Amino acid sequence: MSSPTPTDLVALSDNTLLPLLYPYRPQAVLLVNNQRTITQADFLRDLARVAEILPDAAYAFNVCEDRYYFLLAFCALLLKNSANLLPPGRQRATLAQIAADYPGSYCLSDSEIEGDIPCINIRTLFSEADAAGTRAAQEPLVPAIPAGQLAAIAFTSGSTGKPSANRKHWGTLAGTARLLAARFTRHLTNPTLVATVPSQHMYGLEMTVMMALQGECSLQGDKPFYPADIQQVLQATPAPILLVSTPVHLRALVSSGLTMTPVAGVVSATAPLDRALAVATEQCFATRLREIYGCTEAGSMATRASTQTDAWQLLEGFTLAESEQGVIARAPHLADAALLQDQLHLHDPQSFSLLGRNADMINVAGKRASLADLSLKLLAIEGVRDGVFFLPERDAANQRPAALVVSDLPEKHILQQLALQMDAAFLPRPLRKVAQLPRNETGKLTYAALQTLWNQIHD
Amino acid sequence: MSTQTAQELELAKLLVNALDLEDIAAEDINPEAPLFDPSHADSLGLDSIDALEISLAVAKHYKVQLKADDENNKAIFFSLRSLSDYINSQRG
Repeated sequence: MSSPTPTDLVALSDNTLLPLLYPYRPQAVLLVNNQRTITQADFLRDLARVAEILPDAAYAFNVCEDRYYFLLAFCALLLKNSANLLPPGRQRATLAQIAADYPGSYCLSDSEIEGDIPCINIRTLFSEADAAGTRAAQEPLVPAIPAGQLAAIAFTSGSTGKPSANRKHWGTLAGTARLLAARFTRHLTNPTLVATVPSQHMYGLEMTVMMALQGECSLQGDKPFYPADIQQVLQATPAPILLVSTPVHLRALVSSGLTMTPVAGVVSATAPLDRALAVATEQCFATRLREIYGCTEAGSMATRASTQTDAWQLLEGFTLAESEQGVIARAPHLADAALLQDQLHLHDPQSFSLLGRNADMINVAGKRASLADLSLKLLAIEGVRDGVFFLPERDAANQRPAALVVSDLPEKHILQQLALQMDAAFLPRPLRKVAQLPRNETGKLTYAALQTLWNQIHD
Repeated sequence: MSTQTAQELELAKLLVNALDLEDIAAEDINPEAPLFDPSHADSLGLDSIDALEISLAVAKHYKVQLKADDENNKAIFFSLRSLSDYINSQRG
């Protein structure tokens, strides 16, 4: 395991200029997709042409789904000093709610987006730029971005009914990628990342886009989804490969029974893997599996070799301190100290175990939501007199919330109304109508009372 | 609602079982309604995690591997009927 060299480490307080590509190797492959092989120099030429025609704005939504378009949009906005707004979903209501707080923002997408926000389709823009510009023959220079520049605002569902904003500076994102590269890829020669996760969530952003920019990795540009797709992409990708995935996908891959190409490593995040699945994953891919622990505020913080140990090893530079509110994480590449939502047991300055998760936050296949926020959305529906989202105690693999509701409306109608406001992953399974909720004398709903009611309904 | 064929009913039962759709009877799934669009009245409101589960169940039961790189993926997964038709075509 190689440690980052001093030049790799990023301290945000210096606000130094950090190159967009580090190290810059113009002929190294940045991304491969089914149409083309894009070197770092090709990318910089594409980038200059896109950045040139983007409007000036302090903020813009980046909702591109294709990895290369996302990468282009992400970096073009960096060059324009526009912050990337990364919403938790593409629902019209979600975008409108965020846009209200960022006046003058527009939306950069690679498909048609419904809604009232001015939208630029980067596919069209890119082909226009292609037609207008002639390809410069000489090698482009690599742009540099101040470490303290606001690069992105990642939104997560908050407990107040509004998505909460997490500001990410360029130096923070670059710092995280360099630390992850030191753990996962620096010992490999020209590794390629194959990822089953989207680019716009924090884990995907850190382990795909940012690793291509700052971690000496090539990126496989497809987002293979079904086990047969992943098998095919792995076969077609030159070794060494690092597979970037989640427990949901790893479970599907292992149980598919398909034979997988051995890879140099598997990385999993978003939710803890159970030991049995970790062992099965290592057998399936004839490799070592590593997990990442992180949170929205601090990004990736620690890793572990899950088949060997339960303890998490902090990334270089991180320190943890216990306080009355909980554990606080600090690192030179972070703008602020982060108060962690989880309960940790600190073993020594470099390692910890996870004791428990915040009861309000749920995690469905890496998508996070606050139960309080989901409940507020339910209560806001006209005709719903009372209602609550909660996570019943049942099969560990089922992390979907259920809802109990007091209303005369048909279940179907309530579900349709909820679907307009939230990702389908959080739609209650099931939604049950009840005569009343088991509120105590102060009006509170305890988890125990909800679980008791739930058990009665299911008997 | 158009009626299910015997093959569609078999697939509907597989889906209800694989996805733990405890509120839904296999016979009640409208074979032409979108599976994934929750704003549609008859939709099952499924999401990508369900799609992954469906691919595993279909592979096990019908020995057919679903793929997302297929241009018609959205069309294949549109409804119970389209998925059933696709599985039939792949079984030869």
